[in-house]
Amino acid sequence: MTRPAPSGAATVFREGRRGPAVPAGPRTAKAAAPRGRRTFSWRRRLAPYAFVLPFVAVFLAFSIYPLFFTLRLSFTDWHGTGAAQWVGFGNYRYLLANSAFWSSLGNSAVLWLLVVPVQLVLSVIVAVLLNTIKRLRSFYRVAFVVPFVMPLVAIAQIWIVLFDQNYGAVNAVLGAVGLPPVGWLVTSAWAKPTLALLFLWKTTGFVVLIVLSGLQQVEPGLYEAASLDGAGRVRQLWSITVPLLRRSLMFSVVLQTLAVFQIFTEPYVVTKGGPYNSTTTAGLFLFNHINRADLGTGAANSFLLVIVVMAVSLLFVRLLRAED
Amino acid sequence: MTTLDVRGRRGRPLLGSHMFLLVLTVALLAPVVWAVLSSFKPAGEIIRDPLGFDPATFTLANFRGMFHDVPVGSGFLNTGVVLLAKGAITMFFAPLAAYAFAKYRFRGQNLIFGAVLLTLMLPTIVLIIPLLLEMKELGWVNTYQALILPGSVDAFAIFWMRQVIAAVPDELLDAARIDGCGEFGIFWRVVLPAIRPGLAGLGVLTIMNIYNDVVWPVVAASSSRMATLQVVLTTLAQNISGNRVGADYATITGELLAAATVALLPLLILFILLQKHFINGILAGSVKG
Repeated sequence: MTRPAPSGAATVFREGRRGPAVPAGPRTAKAAAPRGRRTFSWRRRLAPYAFVLPFVAVFLAFSIYPLFFTLRLSFTDWHGTGAAQWVGFGNYRYLLANSAFWSSLGNSAVLWLLVVPVQLVLSVIVAVLLNTIKRLRSFYRVAFVVPFVMPLVAIAQIWIVLFDQNYGAVNAVLGAVGLPPVGWLVTSAWAKPTLALLFLWKTTGFVVLIVLSGLQQVEPGLYEAASLDGAGRVRQLWSITVPLLRRSLMFSVVLQTLAVFQIFTEPYVVTKGGPYNSTTTAGLFLFNHINRADLGTGAANSFLLVIVVMAVSLLFVRLLRAED
Repeated sequence: MTTLDVRGRRGRPLLGSHMFLLVLTVALLAPVVWAVLSSFKPAGEIIRDPLGFDPATFTLANFRGMFHDVPVGSGFLNTGVVLLAKGAITMFFAPLAAYAFAKYRFRGQNLIFGAVLLTLMLPTIVLIIPLLLEMKELGWVNTYQALILPGSVDAFAIFWMRQVIAAVPDELLDAARIDGCGEFGIFWRVVLPAIRPGLAGLGVLTIMNIYNDVVWPVVAASSSRMATLQVVLTTLAQNISGNRVGADYATITGELLAAATVALLPLLILFILLQKHFINGILAGSVKG
């Protein structure tokens, strides 16, 4: 049985173990030759180091140094001026015992639930449809990516006006069909779904493209064979398309999970975390510490968030590997 | 087939598919179209009749008010400077690093690629406090360096370009080597031309990311002299959500939509011009394993 070609960018998560793939199969005469070992000059050995040097420099200066700084800061009580006071694990204890911290994580988790599963299902449906039709395909592709390209702040502003309880166009549409107005951004019950809708609206097109690129690797012959065996369309979708798309789907899930747990601009601009902190996401909660110059607690919060984000994404990467 | 093709492979009508996609498209485009149209309406009309549009009442008053209230011009200028500098750095160094990861084997490769993945997973705001202090230490607060350098060799761009470059056949590189091409020459004369679609996609994505960035510019360049367009907009939005005294809701709403339109249009136009490259770039980047 031949394995289908790996679909999608997700392959990258496996490659770390062995570096770039060497084509398998019978060696050609050329490859069996001394493989040009004489041309392995010192230039060729040093070249990759020179090529990654700029990244490493930027990484050390603007990621690693700040990361260690944050770690040290997280064990102190510091408000930006004067001497920092060492408090050990005090900040971490404070946060872990703080219900607002947990509710910020909870808000992010609820957003994840409202966004990721919906987006995944929707993207598969849209990508499959886009793959079967011929007419207007590029028109739809462009239309779906437009929201992804637009500046988030501008879209967030539009959301404020569009979903206004009294004057918004959305409630005007509801009113036109005889429904009562909804307090989209001013009630805790609706604020999260409204933000989730913003995120879905903004990013689903990009996920559709990822899924679509995975779909284009699926052999059309598989469907014909399945058709001959009498499999219906739904059956084909479930038994052929979804398994073959697994890598693209997992890649999307990891990417969107990282994105959802980092959500900050949307609530910062649209709801400011309200009403009643119902849209204070993990990212916004952290930002509020910085805003108050409560830097020690903010740093500890950063690390807790990093741990959560990494744990969740590693879990998905694990799932991806286990399925192989 | 020259006849109207509304039937699928197995003879099923595709009309349903088109209906579904069309409804979705309308839902996706409606907010943008609505905002752009509404920004040309008299402020009072936007809230009195949010759904209507009367060409007879077309006005630029919202734009005039908005340009008067916030420094959009300097916002565009700052964004432009950052875009050129940071964009150039990303577009050159990210594919270069990606080339090293895709086509070389070297000691520490996995460790350094791990650094790329780590950078991808780190939420931006986690690094904000120390980065801000670092900028203070360097005396870079409210300077272009502060806006340009952090994150200039973008991890996502490396991660993504690696996929694209991996698809370039090794034979091509070996042939160049035999012809006496140096290692950098191979990158410059063979790899870059070979990945033009992916590069175009990266270009659009890079422009988009830099243009749309908010979190870092908000803290690093808070002075109005250095504020990028998005910071200017954020400030406006903050003023609008209720705190600004002396301006009524309708006027503010009008200015808000005008500001959104001003911010949307450059990217929208750019995207429409470059959409083919962008979409092919994304597809190229995510297909190849």
